[in-house]
Amino acid sequence: MRMQLTARLPSSSSRVCLACALVVGVARAQPVAGPEAPQEPAAVPSSPYVVHASSEAAEYADTDHVFVFTPTVAGSVERPGGGWSVNGSYLVDVISAASVDIVSTASRRWTEVRQAGTLGGTYQLGALGIGANGALSSEPDYLSLAAGLVLTYDLFDKNVTLLAAYNHGHDIAGRTGTPFSVFSHSINLDNVNAGATFVLDRATIATALVDADFVNGDTSKPYRYIPLFAPGTHVSPGASIDTVNALRASERPLEQLPLTRNRYALTFRVAHRFDASTLRLEERLYDDTWALKATTTDARLLFDLSRRVELGPHLRAYAQTSVDFWELAYVLQPGLVYPAYRTGDRELGPLVTGTGGGTLRWGVGPSRAPTQWVLGLDLSATYTRFLDDLYVTNRTSVLGGLSIEAEL
Amino acid sequence: MLRFSFATAAASLVLVSLASLASCARVAPYDRGKLAHPSMTTADVAGPAESHVRSIHEGATGGVLGAGGGCGCN
Repeated sequence: MRMQLTARLPSSSSRVCLACALVVGVARAQPVAGPEAPQEPAAVPSSPYVVHASSEAAEYADTDHVFVFTPTVAGSVERPGGGWSVNGSYLVDVISAASVDIVSTASRRWTEVRQAGTLGGTYQLGALGIGANGALSSEPDYLSLAAGLVLTYDLFDKNVTLLAAYNHGHDIAGRTGTPFSVFSHSINLDNVNAGATFVLDRATIATALVDADFVNGDTSKPYRYIPLFAPGTHVSPGASIDTVNALRASERPLEQLPLTRNRYALTFRVAHRFDASTLRLEERLYDDTWALKATTTDARLLFDLSRRVELGPHLRAYAQTSVDFWELAYVLQPGLVYPAYRTGDRELGPLVTGTGGGTLRWGVGPSRAPTQWVLGLDLSATYTRFLDDLYVTNRTSVLGGLSIEAEL
Repeated sequence: MLRFSFATAAASLVLVSLASLASCARVAPYDRGKLAHPSMTTADVAGPAESHVRSIHEGATGGVLGAGGGCGCN
């Protein structure tokens, strides 16, 4: 049996596009490749099966005192001649946080473990591709279940591939230490996406995708308390915890978000292969019924420095407006009337983000097949500027990951 | 306004797709050496950790599905 260990899990064009993620996941199982000619001179397979597996350990840290350690394993089995594949993954997030939002509620450092798994499969029936997938994520106060289907159809000798997918998710949000039967919210999510991939020429491929998410349920965080202020109180962006506590009213209700949210996104992706490098560009436009609008621009350049080494610098820029109920300082109306919707989630406020980083892949296998074993290093830094927030005005984070790949 | 703008964008996507379709050169299977390179995948190449960070940092990325509840610490 030919075995190939790869560096990464399948990933999605968006977090909710699980179907796409799992279907493309097998395709993403990619070894380092050298310049064009020696594409994959590995040993002749002794089996019609191709087995991929990967392992990665990633660490995240930011200036808001949040740390996350994420070990991951993933694998897939393909039978190219039979037109089918199955894949799965498992990861653990170990999160430790003492962010300003926690400290502002006089809470201690908070630690939690999340476990998540996925399972999927694809089958090719001529020009028609069929995929199915499921996902499970569990932590003490949150349970998420999801399943989906994806269809692809090849046209014009595979110069055009159409895609349509549907996913349904059911989440249960609760509070740590309280059984779901005592306190919980149900959240349902339906995701539809459609798109097409075009072969533009011998070295260029383009993809256009439209995503629509329909979220129903209360996604408010049961730990997030919102400071309220008397009418006319002036609070500056970045005001400290002490300043906020001095100015705010004694009432501090929990966050309350609207119970429905429709989210739409358009994604355009282009990849062009040069003689020994690949340029990948992506633009994503986003809009939703909470009036949050966003743009994401992403660029990667992957260099084949040799048959064994690939270097991939990466840049990403992101900007968003706030949701329409966003306020720097929510006002407590006379009669102790709270604002109907209120949030302290900075990711719902206006912000801009810039990310720079890169990947390094080093094939350490034998000379006849250097990508039988590959070590990978991912490193990136992100700077976020919060434009209208309490407590903090910026955040810097670092994400690093080590991975291993092999072909056995 | 929101729906109008999204409908406009979706219509633009269809038009761009049709234009791309019309302008596509038929590339024969034997002439796809560069397209077959692993880095030419049509999927997002971000790993699981990077995808997760995006879903937390970017309000427009990802939904509640699998994102977890968290502490409201961000």
